[in-house]
Amino acid sequence: MEDPASAEESAFVADDVSNIIKESVDAVLQNQQYNEAKVSQWTSSCLENCIRKLAGLNKPFKYVVTCIIMQKNGAGLHTAASCWWDSTTDGSRTVRWENKSMLAITTVFGLAM
Amino acid sequence: MADAADFAVEPDYKSKFKPSRVREIIAAVLKARLAGTTYHADNTSSWAREIADDIKQRLKDEGWTRYKYAVQVFIGEQRGEGVRLACRGFWDVKTDSYANEIFQNESLFCVAAAFGVYLY
Repeated sequence: MEDPASAEESAFVADDVSNIIKESVDAVLQNQQYNEAKVSQWTSSCLENCIRKLAGLNKPFKYVVTCIIMQKNGAGLHTAASCWWDSTTDGSRTVRWENKSMLAITTVFGLAM
Repeated sequence: MADAADFAVEPDYKSKFKPSRVREIIAAVLKARLAGTTYHADNTSSWAREIADDIKQRLKDEGWTRYKYAVQVFIGEQRGEGVRLACRGFWDVKTDSYANEIFQNESLFCVAAAFGVYLY
């Protein structure tokens, strides 16, 4: 007796999550230059903002959020993810943010309970 | 007659995600795949994918039931740039955990993180 409305509620909506990530990262990193001393504080703030907003969605999900901030100096970076989950309910979203001095890649994995 | 095990909400201590064991697995995979390699823009992305799949397969082989896994791998070129990677989990600390390992040589660095989340 699955209520169609609840089936939608318990699916991972990637677009909402995209917006949450973009807003969280923008709020912390906008107009900033890469600064070695502040990076750990920035990553923590981005993650805290993301998690707070994701929890605010009030969905029966567990979240894992990773954030990598890298100084731009011509080096290459490759990322890959592999997951073992229920593809009907779970999902992930990666958002890439950059400015002139650094780039930030944030990934959210949403796993249904 | 209902069995007490039918109402278990947490995994048994034997079938819990063990971060120390997962760290060993990740370290072994990274060493096997990346020892003696140099960074090349063309093949590094396939390495990253293969490493992620390899780690995920080994986690499945550990046989922890009812666990979902997410594995993320970052491979970057060593050019003296500053990098910071952080992660946060919104989960149940009694059942869920993560492990990560770093591998580096003169031309590249690799960070692999594996997350295990329990399905009730």
